[in-house]
This record gives sequence, structure tokens and C-alpha cells, in this order.
Amino acid sequence: MTFLLTKLNNKTKTMNKILLIIQREYLSRVKKKSFIVMTLVTPLLIAAVYGLIGYLSYEGMNSNTDTIAVVSENKHLTEQLLDTKKIKFNYVNGSFEQTKKDLAKADFDYILFLPDFELGNPKDIQLVGSKQPSLALNNKVEAAVEKLIRNEKLKKSGISNSELTKLETSINIDTKKITEKGTEEDSSAGASTIIGSISGILMFMFIMLYGIQVMRGVIEEKTNRIIEVIISSVKPFQLMMGKIFGIALVGLTQFLLWIVLTITISGAAVSLFSNGKGLKENMVKQQMSTLNNPEVQKDIKKMQENTFSKIEKSVANLNLTKISIVFVFFFLGGYLFYSALYAAIGSAVDNETETQQFMMPVMMPLMLGYVLSLSVVNSDPYGNIAFWLSIIPFTSPIAMMVRMPYGVPDWQLALSMVLLIVGFLGTVWMASRIYRVGILMYGKKVTFKEMFKWFSYKN
Amino acid sequence: MLSIRNIVKQYAAHTALNNVSLEVEQGKIFGLLGPNGAGKTSLIRIITQITAPDSGEVLFNGEKLSTHHISQIGYLPEERGLYKKMEIGEQVLYLAKLKGLSTAEATKRIKYWFEKLEMGSWWNKKVEDLSKGMQQKVQFVATVLHQPELIILDEPFSGFDPVNADIIKNEILELNKQGATFIFSTHRMESVEELCDHIAIIHKSKKILDGTAQEIKQKYRNNTYQIEYSGDFDFANLAPSFDLLHQEKNKEFNSAKIQLKENQSVNQLLGILLPHVNISRLDEVIPSMNDIFIDQIKQQN
Repeated sequence: MTFLLTKLNNKTKTMNKILLIIQREYLSRVKKKSFIVMTLVTPLLIAAVYGLIGYLSYEGMNSNTDTIAVVSENKHLTEQLLDTKKIKFNYVNGSFEQTKKDLAKADFDYILFLPDFELGNPKDIQLVGSKQPSLALNNKVEAAVEKLIRNEKLKKSGISNSELTKLETSINIDTKKITEKGTEEDSSAGASTIIGSISGILMFMFIMLYGIQVMRGVIEEKTNRIIEVIISSVKPFQLMMGKIFGIALVGLTQFLLWIVLTITISGAAVSLFSNGKGLKENMVKQQMSTLNNPEVQKDIKKMQENTFSKIEKSVANLNLTKISIVFVFFFLGGYLFYSALYAAIGSAVDNETETQQFMMPVMMPLMLGYVLSLSVVNSDPYGNIAFWLSIIPFTSPIAMMVRMPYGVPDWQLALSMVLLIVGFLGTVWMASRIYRVGILMYGKKVTFKEMFKWFSYKN
Repeated sequence: MLSIRNIVKQYAAHTALNNVSLEVEQGKIFGLLGPNGAGKTSLIRIITQITAPDSGEVLFNGEKLSTHHISQIGYLPEERGLYKKMEIGEQVLYLAKLKGLSTAEATKRIKYWFEKLEMGSWWNKKVEDLSKGMQQKVQFVATVLHQPELIILDEPFSGFDPVNADIIKNEILELNKQGATFIFSTHRMESVEELCDHIAIIHKSKKILDGTAQEIKQKYRNNTYQIEYSGDFDFANLAPSFDLLHQEKNKEFNSAKIQLKENQSVNQLLGILLPHVNISRLDEVIPSMNDIFIDQIKQQN
């Protein structure tokens, strides 16, 4: 009985010591100026980048309307080209040669020349400008002219104008996915890609940033020579775990603050913008008025409604709670898996410049996971490569997060999680065996061979 | 209080400790000596439970050494330092709490020690702002703060100026008087002579000498006497009973170093000398720890 009590007592003492270490590791980092600055500046940067993107795309939308002067000598074409979102067609009188001369001082960008061809054999159509027309513009103009000719042909074969309008259709494909339960869900490849990629990138960043912090912390204790004082009070394993968990909390704190601050700042920015809502509406109206063709207006409206509601709908269907929980799990799991390895590296060297040779084998799978996840997994989220990448612990934290929004069967998720836990226990065990020897080795260039020997050392 | 029995410790191809046994008595200052790489640090790391021996055992007050003894041992390693960016007070508090002290108790004791060693204003300073000697003082305080029964000091005086070294030496003696047992590892033989009750020398992973300071000195006396005298005497006449090792003649007095052969006593020597010279001083030449140490190591090589 007393034996059990002392054993229990020792256990609580051990726990208290780990908590003490976690507390120190956490507070000493959170109190640092660099932490506070990074935490405050990063959301501002993110907001600034978003602002810039928004501004640029707004600018792009406005300025990219091309005006094309159309010189038509064709007697078979009875209708005129209709304006589209980005192209304004202005029919001009006068010869092609004359218009070309006016190009420099006129208020149009390009000249479209429609010679007098037979409808069955359209040729010698030219698009000229002072600048080389872009491929995209060329395609759009081609499509417009093709449509014009087709309509002309249809009319010739006796279809009336009103019938032609009826033939017009504008469609939008709704992507749906049948879930395991057999119900249909709206999905959006776009939303999945965005959410998956962002989580993958965050995961990669977190592991890198804080894994390296663990390594630095270990090196710091070694170069400060405080390590031997500490491990005469606690077991090296406790110190290592305390450090890893302490820094994990620092990471979580930072990310949480980033998210909260980013949302707050963006929220403030958005409300600032929507105060100038008049401006926005004005802009839309202006755009509409330039596109005075009712059909185009309808199209645009429909398209806008469709895309927005679609993304909203699919995001709602993505089960964000589940993704968040899984994210936090893999976030921590991946970090713990790698940070133990980083701790082992830190223990084996005397300063940061010596870490390079050991960093390579740790960085490789991480980088590989990152690159493959964003390319292969994103393009084929149900394929074999995606499956294995999201199961093997070295790459699973990143790959699984990229796959998550596309939907992952529960058994795969469970398998991956279990393997990550097993992998984490494995790396911690391995790292602790290297760590306990490494931290007491000063001024010695360590090789992989030597590290392998430490492995077999008895306590 | 500490029994080290037949300790063997092996690192890959190298044997750090080869069947080493030691007894450290309660309330004594035990000098653990030996050249660099002899195995002292390996032995200390086993006592502090940083590593474990391959075979053999360590008993602490008769109990097999285990984790609950950690709070009864204070250890000042040779390779020592502090967190650079952490405030001194906070840092010592952290180290004390790792040894199991409560925050309140630790704070009280830190204040006491800071006051005692004239470090009162250091609480909020960072290590970067302290000199090396000041850092050593902080480390010493951190080592003894939890009132350990056994205090292990590895080269405690390296980095101290003579004034601070003296302060620390006095603290060691005071703690010893209050009952703390010390293990003291050093190369500085003069401090060994001043402090240690018991001495062991480890060389090439083996113990080559072990005994109280008194015993060892007794053992290494070689019947040599230093005599100061006035008058004239040809010491060559003493042979073969006595050997003249060294002679020096000055204006005021002369001196000679004489080794007694077996079965001869100082009285006999004096008997021969007294009729011829005026003796002003006679001392036995006792070898210094330094001499014994060097002599022992040379013998082994």
C-alpha cells in the first residue's frame, strides 16, 4: 500500500516537473518581443495582401475592356457583333486602310476587318492593333464572329429572330457528389481545392516553424551548458517532452491569435469598404450601362449569382466542424511527429550551422509531402498516390488535410490517425534515445554512424 | 552515506569506469581527483542519475539510489550555464521548483541567499548582464538552495576571482558544518588540501588511491626533514645512516634536507648534529597533495 502510494506520489511529481518545463518553455517564448511583433504584424500583412489582391482584381476588371473598331465590307452579314463583358465593338465607316491610319489617335485599341467573304468560306479576317492582341482576346473575337456567321446561316435556312433567341441557352454545371450515406451533396472543386491547399500550407508552415524552434531550444540549452543542471533534476525524456509540448502551445497560441486578429482586421476592413457601398454599386451600374445589351446583362447577373451561391453552398456542405477537428489533430500529430526528430538533431550538434547534414533527411519527406499534396493529391484526391501519401505518417498530416475537403472515407481517416499516433510514439522513442546521449556530448562532430551507436547505449 | 560498489560503465569501445568502489562518509568533504578523461564526470553522472552504470550499485543512506533521491542531491557540473534570456530570480526559482520546492519556500530561500552573497539587486537582471564570476555565484546558489544532503561540486572554483572563491569556500565549510556531505572534484590541489577530509584518485577508469587526507599524507611521508642551522658541519659524514638531499648556505643561516634511512629516528640525527651546530628549526617535509597526485599518476604510466 505505501509502496503504491509512493509510486503514485512519484508519478504526480514527474507530471508536475513536466508541467513546470512546459510552463517555462511557453512563457519564455510568448513573452519575447519577437513573438509579440510576429503575432501582431502577420495578420496585418495578410490583410494587406488580401487588400492588394482585391484592389488589383478590381482594377483588372475595369481596365480590361477592349474597344475594337469593326470595318465590315461584308454584304452577307446583316447583324452586328454584340458587345461582351470585356469587348466593345464599334462599327466604323470608312475603309480598312483609312481606319488603320487613324489607329494611333483614335479611341479604340484594335481594328477588326471583315472582308466580303461568302458565308460558307470566311477568310482574310484580320485583327490588327498597335499592340499584339492577346490569345485570349483573339479567341473571344473568333467566337463572336463565328456566332455571327452561324446565326446568319441559320436565318438563311429560315429560322426567325425570335426562334434564335429561344435557342440561346446558358448553363452552369452543378457538381454533386454522392456521399457514403447515399445522399447527394453539392460540392465545389474550387472550394475544396482552396480549403485543402490552405490547410496543407498551414500544416507545412507549422511543422517547419515550430519543429525548428524545438531544435533551436535544444541547441540553446546545450550551448548555454544548462542542460546538465536540468537533467540532474529531471529525466532527459521529460525535458524533451516538456519542450515539445510547450512549443506546441506557443504555436497554437500564435495561430489562434493570427486567426482571431485576421478575422477582426478583415472584418474591420470589409465594414469600412461596405460603408462606401455607394461606390461599389455605382461601379456596377456604370459597368451595366456600358453593356447596354439586355441579354449580356442577364448573363452576367445569372453567372454572378450562380458562382457565389455555389461556393457558399459547397462550403456549407464541407462539414467545417469535422475538417477543423481533423485539422487540429493532424496539426498536432504532424508537429509532434517531426518535432521529436528535430529535438534529436538539436541534441546531436553544438550549433545551428552543424544541423544541415541532419536536416536533409527530415526535410525531404516533409517537402515531398508538401509538393506532392499540392500537385498530385489536388488533381486526383482519390488516387493511389493520394491514398498512400495520406496514410504514411511522414506525409499524412499535409496530404490528408489537402484531401479532407474532397471527402475521405472514415476508415482511411481512422487508419491515418492511428498510424500517425504510432509514428509519433516511434519518433519520440527514437529521438529520446539519441537525445539523452547527444545532450551531454560537447565539441564533437557527430556522424550518422555515431548516432546509430547511441541508440544501443544502455541508460 | 554514499556507497559506490563495483561500478562498471562502458561506452561503445571505451571503458569509462572499471570496477570502481568508494565510500563517502556522512558530513565529510570527499575529494574526487584524477586527470582529464579519467572517469570522474562519468562517476558523478551516475551518482546524479543522469546515466546508469552497466553493473554495480550505488547506495544512498543504505537505500538503492532511485529518483526520489534527486531532491537530496545538489549538483554543480563542470560544464555549467544558465538561460541567457531569463531573469536571474525567475531562473533560480525554476531550478528550485524542478527540485521539488514550492514557489513560496523557494522564493524565501532565494531571497535569503541573494542577501547573504550580496546579490540582492540581481533578481530582475538577465544573465547577459552578469560577469562570469557573478553567474557562478548564481549557479552555486541554485545548487544548494534545496538544502541537499549531498552536494557534488565539479571544479567549483573555475572562473572565480580570489575574493569570490574565498566567499564560496567559506559557504562550503559552513554548509559542511551544518551537516551537508560534499563530493568535490577538481584539479586545484591547494583547494583539496584546504577542504578535503577524504581523497580518492581515479586514473584511466580505475581507482588508484583512496583514503583520508591524513592517512594518505602519513603513507607518503618519506622520513625527510628540513633543518635550519648555523655553524659548520660536513653532512657527508652522516652517510650511510642519513642521506643529504639538498644543502644551502646563506649568510644568516644554513639549511639542509635530510632523509632518514630505515631504523633511524630524528633523535639520532639530532644527537649527531647537536655538538656541531646550532639548530634553529626542524620540520618534517610532508609531500603536498600536488606531489602525491603527480607521483601517483606517473607511477601508473
